[in-house]
Order: sequence, then structure tokens, then C-alpha cells
Amino acid sequence: MEKHFLADMMAGEGKPEFRAEPWYNPCGDCIVYKIADEAVVADRIDELLTVYHSAVDDRPIGFQIKGVKAIIRKLGLEGLAVASHQEAGAVKRISIAALLLAAYEEREPTLARRRAYAFAMECPEKKHTIPADDLQPA
Amino acid sequence: MAADFACKTIDPNNPTGPKIDAIFPGVYTLRLYKYSPVDYENLRAAKHVLENPKRIFFGVRVFNQGGWCYTGRPPEWYIKERAVVPFPKERVFAVYLNPNMQVYECRAEYADAVDPLCPVNWPNRYRGLTWKSTS
Repeated sequence: MEKHFLADMMAGEGKPEFRAEPWYNPCGDCIVYKIADEAVVADRIDELLTVYHSAVDDRPIGFQIKGVKAIIRKLGLEGLAVASHQEAGAVKRISIAALLLAAYEEREPTLARRRAYAFAMECPEKKHTIPADDLQPA
Repeated sequence: MAADFACKTIDPNNPTGPKIDAIFPGVYTLRLYKYSPVDYENLRAAKHVLENPKRIFFGVRVFNQGGWCYTGRPPEWYIKERAVVPFPKERVFAVYLNPNMQVYECRAEYADAVDPLCPVNWPNRYRGLTWKSTS
């Protein structure tokens, strides 16, 4: 494989290391969560949730929640807060599960949606919150 | 902070006109580089698709106005660390851009049975097809 077109830009950024944790992508106003460092094939469940399947063996390895700003606008950050992380009245961390529940409530329940959202909520990682300060769209 | 990177692509608002810049935002590429190495490697596939698109869709998000999806077929891609394989026939590679032509998502999709250069179920996912390659 030839040299990566961004290689010079990334020089000095340290050694890459996969991190299985949710993160907010401000350019896409979405939260991305992958639990394996593998290429994904997207399975769009509805307007708000996409489940990632491994390109290696098709098992589900993550998800994307879209329209985060719209969900927050509807419920407010307080509605998504993890109470134990509220400090001095300010929401410090929000719950991925609360975001998923809010997204699920947007549409009629179907078996396919229920299964996909259940997978997303059970993603086998301990880190199920994201800093509220990260949620600033580009 | 890594700088943005621009590559030339078809202008979705004027497909027969001059090419315009598609931006790989530094905030996005740096995140992939540091914490999602396989996705970082597959930015090569994304760049290939932007430079050689086969379909361009508009209206890709319900809660965010605007935005585009460019699809195509890279010759190969990384499926895991140090594993480069030919891109599968039954998939199509999709690159999503926001209204500012900033890339925010690059991934394979299940291909449509009728037109395998489109993602499956595309008429119900996007507002429409804005451009189609004739080659």
C-alpha cells in the first residue's frame, strides 16, 4: 500500500491506539461508537441509528447516533444527563442510553428497530457516557 | 491539531462545472488516526471515491439540512489492521459530507440489488440522486 495521503500531517501525533469509546463527531453531528478496530458495513436502522457490522465476519461492532443536536434540542441536556456527574448545576456528562431511548421514541416500534437499539444499549463496554462539553456541532 | 486536507471532486450543485474542494477536517482525521486506525487507513478509499464518484445523493439526513453522499468502489480497503483485501462486489463505499463539503463519515454499505453502485434502500434514505456517472 502506498504512503497515506495524510501521513505527513500526522507525523508527531504519536502512536495510533484503538480506543473503544463513544465520541462526538462535530462535522456530522453524530456519536460514533466502535468496539473493534475493523472496517464496517453500515446497516441503517432508521433516521437516527445506524448499526455497524464487521467487514470481517458481519458481527455487530458498533453504532452511530445521528441528529444529536436535534435530540438535545427536544429533550434538553438535563434530560440526557447522568445525575451522578452533574456538578454545580451544570451537566457534565450525558448518557448514551438516554440518547438511544430518545431516538427510539421518535418512530414506531418494530422488531428490527427493537433489536438494533437493544444491541446498541448492550454494547459491551463500560463507558456509556460522553462529556456534555464535547457536544458542540461544527 | 491536524490541518484540514482538501481533494478535488465533482460539484454536486454543478456537476458539469469545475471541480470543487471536498474537505477532510483535521478534527475528524486526527481522531481516526489516533483512536481508530483501520478507519484512518480507509480514508484512502474515501479519497478514491471522492475523486472517482459513481453516484451523488442529496438530502441524506432528516434532522440536518443539506449534505451529500458520494458512492463508488475503491479497488481495495483495510478490513482490519494490516489486512488489505479487494473491495467486495456486493458492497459500495459511501462518503458522507455536510453542507460545507466536510467529510464526516466513510464506510461500506450493502449495495442495492438493482444498482449496486447505490446503497441498499436508497430511495427511502435520501431525498434523491443528484448525479450519476456515465462511465
